[in-house]
Amino acid sequence: MSLARFLFRRSLQGIFVIWGVVTVVFGLRFVAPGKPENVLLPPDVSETTRQQVAAELGLDQPLYLQYLDYIAGLPFGEMGTSLVTRTPASGRVLSTLPATLELAIAATVVAIVIAIPLGVISATRRHNPADYGATLFSLVGISTPNFWLGVMLVILFSVQLGWFPSSRRPVGIGIDAVLADLVALQLGAAADGLREWLYYITLPAITLGTYFTALITRLTRNGMLEELGEEYVRAARAKGLPETLVRYKHALRNTLIPIITVLGLQLGTLIGGAVITERVFRWPGLGTLIINSIQARDWPVVQASIIIIGVGFVVVNIFVDALYRYINPQVGES
Amino acid sequence: MAKIGVVLILLVVIVAVFAPFLVPHDPTDQNLESAQQPPVGFGSTSVEEVPVQENGSVVIEDGNIVTEERTVSENTSWSHPFGTDGNGRDVFSRVIYGARTSMIVGIIGTLIAAVFGVVVGLTAGYYGGRVEDTLMRASDIMLAFPSLVLAIALVGVWGNAAIKIPDPFVVSGLSETVRSALGLAVGMPETITVPGTVIIVVALVNWVWFARVARGEALSLRGQEYVKAARAVGADNSYIIRKHILPNAITPIMVLATIQVAAIILLESALSFLGFSGTNLSWGFDISQGRRFQSTSWWIATMPGLAIVLTVIGLNLVGDWLRDALDPDIGGEGGV
Repeated sequence: MSLARFLFRRSLQGIFVIWGVVTVVFGLRFVAPGKPENVLLPPDVSETTRQQVAAELGLDQPLYLQYLDYIAGLPFGEMGTSLVTRTPASGRVLSTLPATLELAIAATVVAIVIAIPLGVISATRRHNPADYGATLFSLVGISTPNFWLGVMLVILFSVQLGWFPSSRRPVGIGIDAVLADLVALQLGAAADGLREWLYYITLPAITLGTYFTALITRLTRNGMLEELGEEYVRAARAKGLPETLVRYKHALRNTLIPIITVLGLQLGTLIGGAVITERVFRWPGLGTLIINSIQARDWPVVQASIIIIGVGFVVVNIFVDALYRYINPQVGES
Repeated sequence: MAKIGVVLILLVVIVAVFAPFLVPHDPTDQNLESAQQPPVGFGSTSVEEVPVQENGSVVIEDGNIVTEERTVSENTSWSHPFGTDGNGRDVFSRVIYGARTSMIVGIIGTLIAAVFGVVVGLTAGYYGGRVEDTLMRASDIMLAFPSLVLAIALVGVWGNAAIKIPDPFVVSGLSETVRSALGLAVGMPETITVPGTVIIVVALVNWVWFARVARGEALSLRGQEYVKAARAVGADNSYIIRKHILPNAITPIMVLATIQVAAIILLESALSFLGFSGTNLSWGFDISQGRRFQSTSWWIATMPGLAIVLTVIGLNLVGDWLRDALDPDIGGEGGV
């Protein structure tokens, strides 16, 4: 099957999944107690005003019409209006997305940079102190709730040692600002911006990244142990290939392929982790928006957030599958 | 290592069951006079400058407030081994009672998810065809939801109703004297709060893992000789699923269940931390309370978190051991 056909098929599946997510999320709003227009209005408002507002928001239409209307708007990025700010829900979600992506990417990068060497060392020096250390770390890492880890890091590094801020990140410190300075060749400003950015993102990135570091360490170790016992490794060694090449070019390469797939599927865990990490550090991202919107019963924003996360999940996993086929062309239809 | 895991799990279960006998205080009793008392071994004395007061007002001399040095000591006592929280409640007692919430949600939530997921998964895998396609597509959709986000959205929609059931060790209706004569716990909360909605929600966002594993097993078992033989002698399908497929699929389901209890305990603590729990006696809730005192009283958030970590480590150790010993090929989402 050619890559184009594969992408076409996976995209169709992806659209089906997104449709499912939209439908579930849409249904969610209508099992919620209370009418949506009541969120907007004070309780003592007259019945006529109530009906007017409902009509204005299209809430007086039959359910299936509202549903079709919602679906029809989606390709154009229309996801309803926030009940709180009266602005498009999709706009509110997209404006918080960069902060969350910064956090998620920083955490993933930290996790990969630490975990893969750790896993390789652990697998190649079995039953050494280094192996026990890595195994213990990965056990504790996958067992620690990240919000608690975040609170502990703040107590230790912000409150006691004063190395990192305990206040929320001010507006204007983001990787986008650093990049803008860099493009404008303001190198001094860019360096300062980068320092500030690191100052604020370090603890949240560790908080979110620890679980993934632990998970990838464990996957790399187990994968390497398995690969190093395979026939082709023995063959490579027998023909006199240096051990470094055997380990890193052959065994590690084959270990990494399945890890990529696992990471794609863990995107949901990453987003869930980001939601709660943002709460701990008052990070101005999607997680904060979702929790605030649920508490304010601002369903259009909750819906838009979940749908956009679902789209991200589908797109990333199609990309991962395509990458998988590219790295390992033997992978056929499954 | 597995032994350590078994010991940890047994410890948490025993602590959860016998909580009323193990705690020095009612975990909900507030005492503002002894709030924020540090744990045993962490008391400190410090010297602070305090304004001198005369007749209820500060004394000013040469335009400055007159101060004196006074020794401020933070008392600790064995009555509060883990210290007290911001409202003067005993942290140790709250950690012990918190084990009940985690165990109730973890075990009941996993059971519901397992029963539902296994029934759906075995049916789909055994019959194949359209039933199976529908299930697999539904589980694709489920996977696209981040479980924590879906859980908070559901609790946000449905509320966090909880059921109060009487604590069997604290028989209400008896007077304190009768209770203590009978060896029952005295002065403890009379009910156990079961966060019903939270249990349903955690089961709902996790059943799909069981369905996927059960389907895989049923798929590989339905072609076995003994299943074909049973069908040949005229056994009906539901009988075959119950008597032949389920018993042989049970091993990987047990391994998954162990890991899922850990995942659900983490999910419950995250929900409680975010303020979506149905009870205030929960480790996650206590951590969120402790966060408000993070600059003065580190122990309030630290102690319940350690309890979560030890419980989940215990479950993960046993899960790993079962997996290695039985070697079923399964995956599963880890936690928050």
